[in-house]
Amino acid sequence: MLIQKNMKLAEVIHHDHTLVPIINRFGIHLGFGNDNIAEICRKHKINIDFFVTILNAFHDAHYFPQKQLRNFPAALLIDYLQKAHHYFLDDKIPEIAGLINKMATEYALDKTTIGLLSNFFTGYSKELKKHIQYEEETIYPYVLALEKAQAERNPDKNPFVRVNNFSISDYETQHENVEEKLFDLKNIIIKYLPEPKDDKPGYRLLRELFTLDKELNEHARIEDLILVPKVKAMEKALKNKKE
Amino acid sequence: MKHVIIIVKYYLLQAGTEELIQEVPGLMHLKSYTGEEPRLTDIVLKHKPDVLIIHPDSLSAENASLPHKIYAHQNTNLIAIVRKNEKDRVSSDFSTVLFMEENKSVLEKKLREIMTSAGPNENNHKELSKREIVILKNIALGLTHQEIADKLFISIHTVNTHRKNINKKLGIKTVPGLIVYALLNHLIQMDEIKDKD
Repeated sequence: MLIQKNMKLAEVIHHDHTLVPIINRFGIHLGFGNDNIAEICRKHKINIDFFVTILNAFHDAHYFPQKQLRNFPAALLIDYLQKAHHYFLDDKIPEIAGLINKMATEYALDKTTIGLLSNFFTGYSKELKKHIQYEEETIYPYVLALEKAQAERNPDKNPFVRVNNFSISDYETQHENVEEKLFDLKNIIIKYLPEPKDDKPGYRLLRELFTLDKELNEHARIEDLILVPKVKAMEKALKNKKE
Repeated sequence: MKHVIIIVKYYLLQAGTEELIQEVPGLMHLKSYTGEEPRLTDIVLKHKPDVLIIHPDSLSAENASLPHKIYAHQNTNLIAIVRKNEKDRVSSDFSTVLFMEENKSVLEKKLREIMTSAGPNENNHKELSKREIVILKNIALGLTHQEIADKLFISIHTVNTHRKNINKKLGIKTVPGLIVYALLNHLIQMDEIKDKD
């Protein structure tokens, strides 16, 4: 289903409830009433095209935004991506770490096993954090500098130098390692844990890990589908401007 | 379970191929590409798919040599999708050819045959061999592949091969994951591990 701005947001959520954390990032919270997407966006001062593009990119793995839909400021996109990062680091990771600790009592796992799982997960979180830091400290300032240089008539030389030394293409295939660790963790839980006293905590943890995996994939898709093409276009335009 | 990657430019053809894969037990769709992605060969090599389904015309000029490179590097089953009248243009790198004109049951049958023609790496369900357990222990204890090779008087190449088989059999790829496995199965003890943090 292609989500469009004249649809009621409530109906969209009925259709795909996993979009709730996404709308939260835009400052829209449950209990938003009966309005359609455009009306809700106006009320919250949200760029409608941007909102609809993000919802579609999450909802449909095959969605590919048309060119005119990528025409919002990079700052808007980066603001969104940073909010998503907060969600992963400040909400999801502690939540899952808590579930692992809870398993000690409910799953009747011995201390050593719990220690192993929780160490492994800490290692994973560190790696995720490192990757996010790299994006926020290296990639995003670069993108914003590009956008600024593009807007100015006589842009200062700084971004030019960086366009020559560094390109967004270098960054595209970076997500892999983090994904592998999460995959391993799921397999350890599915295949290799000792038999539990109670089935529920294991399932709860596994469900959270699968959700996290799915959300991270979707997040990466937004970066690949929207951020990277946008930056490539800016790099190209700036190079042409220079010549 | 065999992982499948699809490289097809046209959406309808891509979606149809994905649908077909869902119908064949044992095949799992991993990713789809359009064939125009930069450095697609590297991306595909990284995923190590068991099966790669390609519509050759979808490949951009840069990626034209992809099938041959995959064929040379990996134990991947290469499948081409073409029209019947293009049959003679399909390169010998492909082991199977699906025709667009064929109906669903014929296509399914061809894919099922791939599943039954068990490749050399069809030992997914078996336990680790004694040698693999020795290698796994050493990896979990924090030794590098080179150190293991020196210790056991084997080549690093052999260690790499064992490692690949271990990863495949256990479904665990990262060193921290292998450590957890080794500890859970009492192959090593907690106090033997070098503290790396």
